[in-house]
Amino acid sequence: MALFDVSGYKSHAGLRGQILGTGVGHLVDRTNQEFAVPVGVDPSGFLKSCSREGGVSIDLNHGTTTLAFKFRHGVIVAVDSRASAGSYIASKEANKVIEINPYLLGTMSGSAADCQYWERLLAKECRLYKLRNKQRISVSAASKLLCNMMLGYRGMGLSMGSMIVGWDNKGPGLYYVDDNATRLSGRMFSTGCGSSYAYGVMDSGYREDMTVEEAYELGRRGITHATHRDAYSGGVVNLYHMQEDGWVKVCKEDVSELIHRYRKGMF
Amino acid sequence: MLFGKRTRDISSRGLSWSNSESPLHLYIPAAEYLSESPIQFGQINPNTAPYHITPLHQDSTQPFPSFPPGFPPSSSPSVPLPFPMSHGTTTLAFMFQGGVIAAADTRSSCNGLVACPASQKILPVHSHLVGTTSGTSADCALWKRILARELRLYQLRHGRRLSTAGAAKLLAHMLHPFKGTELCVAATLCGWDRGANQQENRSKMGNETDDLAKTSESDSISQAEARGRNLCLSPAMSRQHCSAGGKQLVLSGPSLYYVCSDGTRLQGVLFSVGSGSPYAYSVLDGGVRWGLTVEEAISLAREAVYRATHRDAYSGNCVDVYHITSHGWTRRDREELREEYYREKESERVKVKERREKQEGVEDGQSSGRKK
Repeated sequence: MALFDVSGYKSHAGLRGQILGTGVGHLVDRTNQEFAVPVGVDPSGFLKSCSREGGVSIDLNHGTTTLAFKFRHGVIVAVDSRASAGSYIASKEANKVIEINPYLLGTMSGSAADCQYWERLLAKECRLYKLRNKQRISVSAASKLLCNMMLGYRGMGLSMGSMIVGWDNKGPGLYYVDDNATRLSGRMFSTGCGSSYAYGVMDSGYREDMTVEEAYELGRRGITHATHRDAYSGGVVNLYHMQEDGWVKVCKEDVSELIHRYRKGMF
Repeated sequence: MLFGKRTRDISSRGLSWSNSESPLHLYIPAAEYLSESPIQFGQINPNTAPYHITPLHQDSTQPFPSFPPGFPPSSSPSVPLPFPMSHGTTTLAFMFQGGVIAAADTRSSCNGLVACPASQKILPVHSHLVGTTSGTSADCALWKRILARELRLYQLRHGRRLSTAGAAKLLAHMLHPFKGTELCVAATLCGWDRGANQQENRSKMGNETDDLAKTSESDSISQAEARGRNLCLSPAMSRQHCSAGGKQLVLSGPSLYYVCSDGTRLQGVLFSVGSGSPYAYSVLDGGVRWGLTVEEAISLAREAVYRATHRDAYSGNCVDVYHITSHGWTRRDREELREEYYREKESERVKVKERREKQEGVEDGQSSGRKK
């Protein structure tokens, strides 16, 4: 800029490099965070050709059910454990909750590879934040970091629907982050193609003043009914409870036994 | 028996007016494209579609499917529809010891506009048969009337009412010539049959097959998944088929069939159709049992429709509940769900306030105790 030249102002990056020394760049490790796309490759263009109008149909589905809700005594997180590849069940005990640190959890739905990679990257960033700033990262900031990562690759075919759950100074936190870089704070979320089944159960059973046991039961029921109706969810229910001093893993129960228990009158 | 007698007339269908003595006396539109190009069933050839009529009134246009977003396409290669369609509604029906409950919302949507907030989606066909409708409103209304006419003619000719199974079969066969066209009807027929045997037969069958449940359930679920459909069939349905077999035809009592214009015809104990159906399914799965009382069943049906309208944009406004017993169908007054929402919010608020006051009372007691 002409003004810079006239005033002799040195650009910010140059100054920073002098103060901190070369090699230490930004607050966030930007160099390792993104991997460069090869020259000439256009992921967004390729994906457009794969859309329904082109005759081909590659649907990036979130084939799972995960749910989380805030209540009086913290946050409940419940996920199923089926990993599917088309109509093949690749794993019946996949782990869809990533334990970022003792006070932050992330759930995964969508492409397993995308979720695992980006959430591990998020875990790395949270750890670096804690080391640099000597205090834990807030849930809001963690979800924003993930959201910005998604924004960098928007339209290029990432598939991830995740909920970041934690407890920080502001209390229990629940954020939904999407591959479209949607970031929403809320009281109750459910993701995946079984989510609508889970919503029905959660809506009818949710009370803000539930006891802890009732909340566990609601989380289990939500996943169980969703796995009963949705072909892409199943396996076991992994249930976590986010409390003030960290999360606890409550249970890991097989959905077929649970559904028998709940629908006794039907059989 | 009915169809065996009239096969000579069925062969001439699809071309012109059939002989007026046939019970399947229907006007089949003699559109050229139906007979000339070899259209594979279930798909529409987008090149030879002379019908470009934009529907004036239709239940929502939204990309198929009506299942939750992300539902994968079925095994056949997908062909683009002339215009996107969906079943934008919530209807449900289930069987229990007191008969059949049918419930539906009342919103008719037309691609984002609520065309009618007070439409009727449950249409009585005759005194003991009620049909819920989903899909294109015009198609559903017309075919329900045609079905009512055919059932009345059957009753006059044979002196007895056609069973629900027969009515479902009749409707499915009537819709079959339109397979591959834009016709969209997804109905559940809920009725009470009165056969030679008494009503006890059906409830007895429900108890006997409890033992078979465990063994046959796993088979039925794997079959359902193998078909690649994102809909888990009720285990009770296959159970009834396993045990009853040929005996089913003479049973009487409550009966529930799902008929769709793509040819599906299913018997079951619980169905929900429409874009709001996943939300309703999970609520119903948790509560529907054979031994429900009538009040419990009605409140469960209302709750399921309420939850579905809360989450689904294409369902809403009011809820209609019909109850079919051996004496016929009875209709509950139409209820505005907005009132239900306010009532629930109010009771939540009252509860929170009460609990807060109780806690403050406890704290005061504690603090006064400490002072001593």
